[in-house]
Amino acid sequence: MRALALIVISMCTALVPAAAAAQDPAELRRQIEQLQKQLDSVTDRLRRLEAQPPQPTPAAPAPAGAPPGPGVAAPPPATAPPSAMDLARPRQPFGLYQQRGAGQLLFDMGIAGDFVGNITQRNVERAGGGTFAGQENRFFPREVELSLFGQIDPYASAVVRFEAGEEARGADTSVHLAEAYLTLLTLPYGTQARLGQMRNRFGWSNEVHEHDLPWVDRPNVMRNFLGPEGLQEKGAELTFVPDLPFYVEALAGIFNGDNTTAFGRGTLQHPLATGRIRTFFELGLEHAIQLGMSVASGDTPDRNRSTILGWEARYKYRPDGWLHPLVTLTGEALYSLRKVDVGVDLDGDGSIDRVSKRERDHSGYYAGLEVQPFRRWAGGVRYDWSQYPTTPGWEWAIEPYVSFWPSEFLRFRLAYKYTDRSPQTRDAFNLNDSSARKVDEILFEASFILGAHPAHPF
Amino acid sequence: MLRVFRPLLALAFIAPLVAAASAADKIRVVATIPDLKALTEEVGGKLVDVDALARGTQNAHELEIRPSLMVKLRRADLLIENGLDLDSWADVAVQGANNPNIVRGAPGRVDVSRGIQVLEVPSIRVDRSMGDVHPLGNPHYSMDPGLAPIITQNIVDALARFAPDHRAELEKNRQAFLARLDEAMARWTRAMEPLRGAKVVVYHPQWIYLLHRFGLVQAATLEDRPGIPASPAHLTRVIRQMKDEQIKLIIVEPWNDVKLANRVAQEAGAKAVVLASMVGGVKGADSYIGAIDHNVNALVTAIR
Repeated sequence: MRALALIVISMCTALVPAAAAAQDPAELRRQIEQLQKQLDSVTDRLRRLEAQPPQPTPAAPAPAGAPPGPGVAAPPPATAPPSAMDLARPRQPFGLYQQRGAGQLLFDMGIAGDFVGNITQRNVERAGGGTFAGQENRFFPREVELSLFGQIDPYASAVVRFEAGEEARGADTSVHLAEAYLTLLTLPYGTQARLGQMRNRFGWSNEVHEHDLPWVDRPNVMRNFLGPEGLQEKGAELTFVPDLPFYVEALAGIFNGDNTTAFGRGTLQHPLATGRIRTFFELGLEHAIQLGMSVASGDTPDRNRSTILGWEARYKYRPDGWLHPLVTLTGEALYSLRKVDVGVDLDGDGSIDRVSKRERDHSGYYAGLEVQPFRRWAGGVRYDWSQYPTTPGWEWAIEPYVSFWPSEFLRFRLAYKYTDRSPQTRDAFNLNDSSARKVDEILFEASFILGAHPAHPF
Repeated sequence: MLRVFRPLLALAFIAPLVAAASAADKIRVVATIPDLKALTEEVGGKLVDVDALARGTQNAHELEIRPSLMVKLRRADLLIENGLDLDSWADVAVQGANNPNIVRGAPGRVDVSRGIQVLEVPSIRVDRSMGDVHPLGNPHYSMDPGLAPIITQNIVDALARFAPDHRAELEKNRQAFLARLDEAMARWTRAMEPLRGAKVVVYHPQWIYLLHRFGLVQAATLEDRPGIPASPAHLTRVIRQMKDEQIKLIIVEPWNDVKLANRVAQEAGAKAVVLASMVGGVKGADSYIGAIDHNVNALVTAIR
């Protein structure tokens, strides 16, 4: 194009004297002005073309080993801006995944592996009173999870998770369906429905999978009142997000009530009903807090009503631009109102004359602090205090820990946990004539992610 | 006490409603990253009310999904996303927003990478041993001013589906913006001409489109591999390479470890310069052209 410009300029220079000799001055002036305009136009075009991206030059190749790494194609010549015809040509508006090519999977797949180990006293092992009851002084796969997730059609998405883990000492690893649910995404009035088998959105930590927890183990209060794996039920949840200037999510659910620790009636004739309301506030760019309240109410197998109320709070301080929060505070509290059958010996002969229903209103909570000053390292501590749903006594525990991420897909965690149980628990943790009233544990966790993994909510 | 708070409470509820009513006749657009917000504002003009999920100072790969993002998405008519797996976290935010307009497959979900000639598309099988690689290619195209015509055309197409009567106005806005961009491009090209062929080190490999546009060469990254924090051995290799090849510049994103980049630069006798990885990434980079202006000026000043 430079050559073209030079030719035009040369032509101008050559033509002007010739024309001047042949025609009158007015005509010549007109021609000169016309040529000047053409010259301006060509100059402008030349400038635009020079602004185009350069072709890759062999004089400046990327050195060996420098990014892009092996297997990454060298940058092709940069795209020229499209012509007017290119832009005017009609195109398909929704070309999702257009570059993945034929034969692609139409959903995402990921595997998460979570291995834990613990070391504790022999008497705790014999009494089965460790954090991982029955798996004391062992290293085992707690949860290896295969997740499949994606869109079913334009109206719904689905998640299916299979889990494998060693559930008892030395037992074969069992595989079971952990979650399988569909979400109806296009319901009106800010609603959305989830149907199937799922981890209930009850409080903050219940929905979090084992490998995503910020601690090695689930908090004591959650395990005591909802079972070692938390509340996982079959049924349906409906959420409503009103159109407000701040975030509020209201949830209502109906489930079978299969959870044997808290409910266990297991029939839709007497279902487990759940509810949750959650809100969120940002205090400037760096501080954020989420608050919520949950309720779950169902029947136990002996037809007694069991209701659990939950409160949750989670605060994060993330300095602007940081890749991770510097400080995270998490706390949850549960309050259980439960009727139980109690045998009453009216005449003192040692035999039960009547079964009476009694209220057992018990509670518990935990509070955790995590500080992550570096991208790869975090440290924290969690304090637990919890009663038991139906039996007397209480326990408290403290668990400092440190986490290390070689990359975002791999994590190691080391923790020490001290648990102290009240004397009333003597009857509950006394297997094999041992005691687990005071427990010292070293906990270790290794987690990895293979493939796709959805982003974590707050 | 209640007397004092009652008017304040009323104001707190009424003010957003008034603001919402005034924006009701506009197309409510949410962009995943601020670059796309800036470009949508340029072409949408008064027809749009635009918000962004990520801030310019954040790492667009790993956004924390706060419920506040869901509030932004709750009423959106359009969600404009970068695509190429950069902002796939938006799915989680969309799912929490309960807004059927912007779920995958809905007309309000727009991927503006359509038509972009993607760089660094892997030509062999990739896995995570190569770091957090993007199987669809390098997704950081939005800060290449030469690709703005394609991006803005995609945005105009999307907006025109919601306001077909205003297509001419949208196209006029786009042409006016591209004319300003053309003027700026001439300025940037002149300024960058002396730097053509210069080798630079980048912290994270997200500058390839900009470097390629102006003829600079990415010689190494401070990250061991994409998304993997630098190991001491890797940094030693980079410093040696910078000394051997007389590399005088390290480009750092605002969200990355500027101190580390400065230390490496000092060791290698080079300079580390923070560029706006997105609009709003650094002070003064508050518009699309302003952000490119900042980046070009910073490069020219640093390497001179």
